[in-house]
Amino acid sequence: VAKTSLTSPPWPEAKLPDPVEEAKYHAEVVQKVNKMIATGQYGRLFAVVHFASKQWKITSEDLIMMDNVLEAECGDRIRMEKVLLVGADDFTLIGRPLLGKNLVRVEATVIEKTESWPKINMRFRKKHNYQRKKIITNPQTVLRINTIEIFPCLS
Amino acid sequence: RYVRQLQRLQLLFSPTAADARGARQFVEEAALDFAQRHPDVVLYVSPCAGRAPRLLAEYLNGTVREELIASKTSEEIVQLATKLAGQSGLDIIRIRKPFHTDNPSIQGQWHPLTNKPSALTVRGPRLQPQ
Repeated sequence: VAKTSLTSPPWPEAKLPDPVEEAKYHAEVVQKVNKMIATGQYGRLFAVVHFASKQWKITSEDLIMMDNVLEAECGDRIRMEKVLLVGADDFTLIGRPLLGKNLVRVEATVIEKTESWPKINMRFRKKHNYQRKKIITNPQTVLRINTIEIFPCLS
Repeated sequence: RYVRQLQRLQLLFSPTAADARGARQFVEEAALDFAQRHPDVVLYVSPCAGRAPRLLAEYLNGTVREELIASKTSEEIVQLATKLAGQSGLDIIRIRKPFHTDNPSIQGQWHPLTNKPSALTVRGPRLQPQ
């Protein structure tokens, strides 16, 4: 069959590596990362956490504000599940979509439960003598992330 | 380690005025429970005639918040007091970002030259991908 401009795709053809070799390479990388975690060679950890219908990129000792009310009192320690990604300087652990609970541990404390600044909700229709004014204050909670820990139990 | 930001709560009310009825009921019934539930907040109760009943809250950074409690039931005053106890002394203004970090980048901040081959290997006009 004659070769036209559309026989092969315009991008260069990619050759996939051998599955056996790839499995060996994967196992080696996993062992290396496990050893690194076990010996504690990582510096600062960051994590991507799904919380209050939003995804946050958090490190230790940083503040996060929710626009809702949590059922925990001020000063309670909270463990966050639903961790999507954990990373350090040399390696990252990506979850599909979540990471296991025996791998990562993210702890936070509730610092403050306040209200937001007073927002004005006004409705006005011209020439109809219609205006309504309402002041809305949403309850907010402030959390401080205490620690992010990882445990060397990869596979 | 959690430190409550509320230092003290001063309750000013007058024993005779009609709109301080909720404050008087709060002092009789719920003030002890509130003080026991929040052991690190000091609660001062000072009756003084001829003044509108108010609740003064002082925080650790020096801000003072005054709330009027005239014609409020004692449950509302309890809710107000718990809300004040959970707040910190920062001003309630519009905050621009709901997060705050001291170390925003760990693996190095991205700039347009990351993940690109260095200039030593590329020379001459740009090679088109085949």
